[in-house]
Amino acid sequence: MATFYLGLSTSGHDPALALVDGAGKLVFAEASERFLQDKRAWGIAPDHVPHLERALAAVGFDAGRDRLRVASSWPLVKGDLPVQVSNAMLPASDGLWLRSLQAQAQANAGASLLRLGLASEMPEVLRFDHHLCHAAAACYQSPLQDADCLVVDGEGEVGAVSLFDLRGRVLKRRWRSWGPGSLGTFYAWLTMLCGFDWRLGEEWKVMGLAAYGRVLPDLQAALQTMLVVDRGRLRFADAATVASVRAAAERHARPPEAPLMQAADLAATGQAAYGHYLDLILQSCRAEDVPALVLTGGCALNSSYNGTVAGRMGYDQVFVPSAPADDGNAVGAAVLAFLRDTGADAIPDSDGSPYLGSSAAPRTLAKLQQGLGGLKATDVTGQAAEAVAARLEDGQILGVMRGRAEFGPRALGNRSILADPRPAEMKDRINRLVKGREPYRPFAPVVLADAVGDWFDRPQPSPYMSFTLPWQSRHRDRVPAVVHEDGTGRLQTVDRATAPWMTDLVQAFDRKTGTGVVLNTSFNIMGKPIVHSVEDALAMLVTSGLDAVLIEDLLIEK
Amino acid sequence: MTETETPAASAASAPDVLAFVRDQLAARLNLPVDQIEPGSDLIGLGLQSIDAVMMCGEVEDHFKVELDPSTIFEHETVGSFVDEVVRRLNG
Repeated sequence: MATFYLGLSTSGHDPALALVDGAGKLVFAEASERFLQDKRAWGIAPDHVPHLERALAAVGFDAGRDRLRVASSWPLVKGDLPVQVSNAMLPASDGLWLRSLQAQAQANAGASLLRLGLASEMPEVLRFDHHLCHAAAACYQSPLQDADCLVVDGEGEVGAVSLFDLRGRVLKRRWRSWGPGSLGTFYAWLTMLCGFDWRLGEEWKVMGLAAYGRVLPDLQAALQTMLVVDRGRLRFADAATVASVRAAAERHARPPEAPLMQAADLAATGQAAYGHYLDLILQSCRAEDVPALVLTGGCALNSSYNGTVAGRMGYDQVFVPSAPADDGNAVGAAVLAFLRDTGADAIPDSDGSPYLGSSAAPRTLAKLQQGLGGLKATDVTGQAAEAVAARLEDGQILGVMRGRAEFGPRALGNRSILADPRPAEMKDRINRLVKGREPYRPFAPVVLADAVGDWFDRPQPSPYMSFTLPWQSRHRDRVPAVVHEDGTGRLQTVDRATAPWMTDLVQAFDRKTGTGVVLNTSFNIMGKPIVHSVEDALAMLVTSGLDAVLIEDLLIEK
Repeated sequence: MTETETPAASAASAPDVLAFVRDQLAARLNLPVDQIEPGSDLIGLGLQSIDAVMMCGEVEDHFKVELDPSTIFEHETVGSFVDEVVRRLNG
């Protein structure tokens, strides 16, 4: 008999499931939105029956032989506390809605085991502190033995900031913030003011737009009074201050239908204030001679800020996991369940791979060989990187679906759209023909890990696209399609150990063009999750301007 | 560990916790400290839930004790909450 630990992200938004095996190895992790092809999968059970069934099959779980223990990413139902939802920044109705979804996810966690014949009554659920789940997931994926681990998000158990010590892979909380002060909420409010919608996950759009704006000093000073940072703990300022800053900020607000650039200065100023707050928090974290930081929680998706930390805040090294937001908590819950069940203290080592999700179904792939309705299929086994590099050089835009899907919001070469970053017009072409995104938003570059210092200032590993760094000025004209307005790029670094195929591709493209940089954007259209099935990938090929898709070693062209 | 195993620690820290909680409540409720007794009813004193939460954070930091988000709401009086903190300190 083997035991598997099923971790569930039970926040009610961004549900996900993860499976850790009896040896403490993470063997599967996937957000529900991928399986369902429904962005953020609001209110969906993280153990959604067909998704769980596929995940268990993928890891070789044998119902007749193996045991499944269920874990959730919250200890309690937030709505059971007699604490009013804060309306300091967002409407209380949003908070009540979130509480209702969280209550449902917590109550029903594990119920799918009944349907799958894996339990005869509601299974016992091991329930863990929300921020501890964030920390455990991040530290599991990191190679670090010792680090300060900071969790910053929208809402945790009692507050929205927690600091943990990781020492010899053992996690212990040093302190946490109590009360409603939240940088996640601050950024969500900023997103709405800029005319976007945090409920659609549009915080990215604010961060991208910030590069086009000027920081307005008066507004920045005002925004920096909304929250109080006290020894790293965060709380909202008094109600009168918050109200007066809201009024000042609302004078800069962009109605959703107004031109995008109208919000650029507000975005730049809000991003600057956000950085100021995180700097203040980090100043209270560095206590011992531990020069490494693990940064996680939803706020760790702010790659612009993340890229500024190493070497500046007392930390030489910063690690951000591939899924720092609530989807990643499925991993944390599963890892913590393994620790509790086995009595181990130390978080198991991992290889750090983000490629933890589903693979293309072999049966569907086999069927493609029998006919593709006018599409041309070529088996490029052993020469896939060369074949793709040649087509990129010719200006083609390709979708790639190879190996296991990435866990986390970024496409890291296994579910990616790839293109040549050298033509300045490539950004507009991809937007017009494939993605349909706002024209100002940047695309990401992929470079070899050992060449990152040749291309970027403040070079550091970025295997999950967690850091935005400044391009060295001499290169900016060489790859304009992946240089953002402020001269930065949110890069992915690849090496042979973790991403062998992408490494081959970057090298092949370099040999052909003399430029070791490939444009990488997620394999989806705007508003949809990243493709999950072979059918999703083919549908995108025929309904968009993609020139070809590579599914495993089968190159399918129009 | 139970309370009975560590009577000395309980006895030593209970007045400290009580004094700290009384100061916290006095500051948050704008009341003289001597109006806050172990038998005082937390809701009767006018304690709002947000202040209760913030005070728990201060207690957690000051005494290096872990509280649950629901801890304070499970206790009606100042003294009952203080006893719970002391129990956790020794637990």
